[in-house]
Amino acid sequence: MSAPRAFAPILMILALGAALPFVTSSNIILNGMVTTLIVALAGYGWNLLGGYGGQFSFGHAAFFGTGAYACALLQQRCGVNAWVAFASAITIGGGVGFIIGYLSFRSGLRGSYFALVTLAFAEVFRIVVNASSFFNGAAGVLLELDARPGNFQFASRAAYYEVALGLVGVALLSTRALERSRLGAYLVAVRENENAAKALGVDTLKTKLQAISLSAAFTAAAGAFYVQYFLFINPELGFGASISIEALLAPIIGGLGTAFGPLVGAVALHELGELTQWLLGSLPGADMALFGVFLVLIIAFARGGILGLLSRLGRGVHGMAGEVMP
Amino acid sequence: MTHGLDSKWTRRRFLAASSGGAAMLAAPSYLRAQAAPIKVGILQPLTGALAFDGQQGLMGSEAAIKVINDAGGIKSLGGAKLEMAQGDARSTPDGGNAEVERLNSDGVVAIVGGFASPICLAATQAASRYDLPYIVDVGVTDAIVQRGLKNTFRFAPGFGVVSRTALDNLVKLNDAAGKPAKTVVLVHEDGLFGSGLAKLLQAELPNRGFDILDTIAHPTPARDMSNVALQIKAKNPDLLIPSSYYGEFVLLARTMQQQRIKPKGIYSILNGAASNFRFLKEFPEAAQYVMDCNHWWDPRKEAAQALRKEVEAQGKFFTYNTALNYSCVLLLADALERAASTDRAKITEALASSTFAGHIMPYGPTRFGDGQNQGAAPVNLQVQGNDIKVIFPDAFADAKPVFPVPA
Repeated sequence: MSAPRAFAPILMILALGAALPFVTSSNIILNGMVTTLIVALAGYGWNLLGGYGGQFSFGHAAFFGTGAYACALLQQRCGVNAWVAFASAITIGGGVGFIIGYLSFRSGLRGSYFALVTLAFAEVFRIVVNASSFFNGAAGVLLELDARPGNFQFASRAAYYEVALGLVGVALLSTRALERSRLGAYLVAVRENENAAKALGVDTLKTKLQAISLSAAFTAAAGAFYVQYFLFINPELGFGASISIEALLAPIIGGLGTAFGPLVGAVALHELGELTQWLLGSLPGADMALFGVFLVLIIAFARGGILGLLSRLGRGVHGMAGEVMP
Repeated sequence: MTHGLDSKWTRRRFLAASSGGAAMLAAPSYLRAQAAPIKVGILQPLTGALAFDGQQGLMGSEAAIKVINDAGGIKSLGGAKLEMAQGDARSTPDGGNAEVERLNSDGVVAIVGGFASPICLAATQAASRYDLPYIVDVGVTDAIVQRGLKNTFRFAPGFGVVSRTALDNLVKLNDAAGKPAKTVVLVHEDGLFGSGLAKLLQAELPNRGFDILDTIAHPTPARDMSNVALQIKAKNPDLLIPSSYYGEFVLLARTMQQQRIKPKGIYSILNGAASNFRFLKEFPEAAQYVMDCNHWWDPRKEAAQALRKEVEAQGKFFTYNTALNYSCVLLLADALERAASTDRAKITEALASSTFAGHIMPYGPTRFGDGQNQGAAPVNLQVQGNDIKVIFPDAFADAKPVFPVPA
């Protein structure tokens, strides 16, 4: 695929997305989109490692929480500017990803063992942060409300939306660039058969470490953005299981190991949630049950996620479906 | 009796009669148009981990709206009726945030509720974007009212006031009984309120003449509390101070009963079970004489007793957040009445200058300072027989404390 053909659909979708605030001023929609984009961004992180590298993590909350806490504490304790704190949080998140990756991959943990160890890391992080006064314990960290762009706080939801879209755009473009790069090819080789990849001379440890660091950095960016949006983080919100699940659900629903998968998945999950709430909203809880039924149906019948289903139906949009995992 | 269109019905008479009739039909709708219903946002965690508490709060708000409407609505606004716009925070801050957006676009004049501190923090912040008045029902974290949000009002006491009152009353209780309690074991859940409280008690209790033998933390949820019970048995304290949620405290109390661990008193603070009729009904023996310092209604107020009867008649449990939400909606109605307007700034102003005494909490008239109701305070309660009695402060008490508890 030539470079224009690879990147043009992405740029087109981003441009369309950026126009949304000019079409609607409804804060319900914009707020819904911001929370969707946060999930999508966390999903992009997961997709790099899980979708392309085949290393399924159940504990991406470890990176989400790291990003959120780093961003919040750097501002609150050290008086660092919010934008600098945001950038540092991404770096710190990537670093934590590297360390967790080094410890697990060095020990040769694969498949379900790797999944379990990431789950354990996230849980350990949650317990440590919950118990330690350095992280403000269970009370969490509350950022001062001071809506100025210099503070990474905006008075309008539209501005938050544009920033979130920009971050997802970076993730999308990086994913597409990765697909076309040597690292991407190595990663897919590792996913398909790690021993064969090794035999062909791929440095599998290095490949996986690069992937997990990048992956963690994207998910940390989602966490840091979350804290800038809600101005509050606590151990359960940062390191709880629900964000780990959302981060892996979005790419799986959308299309594992595809550039558009996490975004499509996150939007679909959000819309599905809205739809079920609209259908059964007056009965608290009933919409969640219906949501679950839909989810089971999608996973059961749409192998390869929504994009996989589309490409199987022969309507695969050029450049969108990309390579879909069997 | 038949009224055919006989010769007496001329065209003129028909027109006169029908136009009169039309005017009569039109009159009520004209009145209705003048007093359009006022939408009030009720935000509660109706699903998720806090669903039980959310439903309890919702019940209080519904009851209050019914009372106000039955009494003729908001009189200064032409008898306008209140209409509930319900929001489900799904037990998460982002759920609360999204629902505030929806309620705001639905055109509510104010929002009441939130229950959990993280939800309240996110929801008040979202509402402040629209200068939408927000009355926090429970949310004990003091940060909620310390952020300078002009739209935010908390009717109930915060963590600082509750813990201070609890300590003062503990000393009073112990002194009055001739200081039988000298040693204490603290049991707390490791979340926001449990560990915060434990830290405070560890600092304060020694200054007040108590010796802390041990501090035991446990996670929520915990499936087994027998280890904790055995540790308590080994230390044999005079007094046990637990701060846990419902399930864990019930487990602990039952295990202690089975193991025959009987301290001179169990004195809990903001406990999820100690002042809960469900616990009392399901485990009356384990609950006997347990004391708690918590939010509670004023048992001497008729409206409180009436609400309790109404709730219990439906086979439900009357809890403090039902009473708090009931009172918060009445407080809002009073502000609407005085503001005589649905303008948000005017309602906020009316809330800030509120001196409302018609609620069912033991607080006296409301007086807001920086969004916090200054007169709000918790009370001390004790399970006695088949009821939960108020034992402190004396002004609201309907029973004397039983301490130390009979062996």
